[in-house]
Amino acid sequence: MSDKIKLKGLLYVIVILFTVHSSLFTISCSSIDCPIRNTVSVQYEIRDKSGAALSITDSLSVVTTRLDGKNIELDIATHLDGKDEILNKLIGRSSFSLPISNSHPEDILFFCFKNSEKTVVDTVWIKKDDIPHFESVDCAAAFFHELTDVRHTHNAIDSLVLVNRSVTYDENTVHFYLYPKTGN
Amino acid sequence: MMKIPFISISIRRLAISLLLLLASASASAQFKFFSIQKDSIPFFRGFAVSFDMVGLAMMELSDYGQYEGALRINLHDEWFPIVELGYGKASHTDDPATHLEYKTSAPYFRVGIDKNLLKQKHGPYRLYAGLRYAFTSYKVDVVREPFKDPVWQWDTSFAIMGEQCSYHWLEIALGADATIWGPLHLGWSVRYKRRIAHKEGALDNTWYVPGFGVYGDTRLGGTFNVIIDI
Repeated sequence: MSDKIKLKGLLYVIVILFTVHSSLFTISCSSIDCPIRNTVSVQYEIRDKSGAALSITDSLSVVTTRLDGKNIELDIATHLDGKDEILNKLIGRSSFSLPISNSHPEDILFFCFKNSEKTVVDTVWIKKDDIPHFESVDCAAAFFHELTDVRHTHNAIDSLVLVNRSVTYDENTVHFYLYPKTGN
Repeated sequence: MMKIPFISISIRRLAISLLLLLASASASAQFKFFSIQKDSIPFFRGFAVSFDMVGLAMMELSDYGQYEGALRINLHDEWFPIVELGYGKASHTDDPATHLEYKTSAPYFRVGIDKNLLKQKHGPYRLYAGLRYAFTSYKVDVVREPFKDPVWQWDTSFAIMGEQCSYHWLEIALGADATIWGPLHLGWSVRYKRRIAHKEGALDNTWYVPGFGVYGDTRLGGTFNVIIDI
């Protein structure tokens, strides 16, 4: 094959490659490669003293105070049978997740345990460092967090143990083991 | 939105197949590949400078791009050691959907070598296959105007300023050029880029990397060069 014919053939290849590249570039420009799950939340697992998962029998709601001074119930997310559920009261479950503030040194949460007889409230203070997280200019700004400390009252909660400090998009990482007091 | 991995896999396979095709010579041809043809033409044939028009057009038409020039040595019209120097810049301001601003600008370089694949080396056309190593060190600013925390309603500021990053990558090049008039050539090249090492500080991924382009969009790139023999 002469060089001229070979060159012609290869120039066609280059043109085809550029066409493919241009198409790909167009596709990629219109594609947004952002995480499917882009909410950041703190995962809790309720355990008994032996360390086994414990489904709570009292209902649990979690309240916080907004900037305007208004107390609001936080959405409690659970994952059961492959489905995510958003609740404002948790009952009969052993794990759940709660929102975390984007950028504030400490979140203050009120855990309200309620049964037919009484309501018991515990205050939980969670200290954290907030880390801006960037994926792409096409993806919404998000914050990851490093949990630095937790303290709480002991009315219904026996202990709240920090087991993983890093809060990211990973919904499978448990951050706190919550041990309720027995007899509440 | 979901990723579209089958496209990048297909492109990767196409690029690899083309390279294999180009490299598929007999064992004796492989020896020939690295040898210099024996003829009356001198070994050193001079220098050429070139300027990339694609990066320039990107700079004018989009919010990122690069100014890039190259110096190439012509060894017997067969081997072409090359140094490419550029200055890449991105200024993506106030995205209408995410309200993010992304700014970076930095120089970069590539060094490598091209081989003229044509049998008739000294003609007006050249067909190249080549390899490049590239590096850039750059700083990134990502800022978003303050927004309200969806639950607590506090104002949230999002800013990553002056994050120091660096990038090493390799490029496989396939290109062609033709003599237009006297010392003037015009040429295309298609590049397959592969990141080999990177440091991006607090950012998991940087978006535009000077000289590399937008990471994650595609591993292919291209240049259209105006080349002058000097």
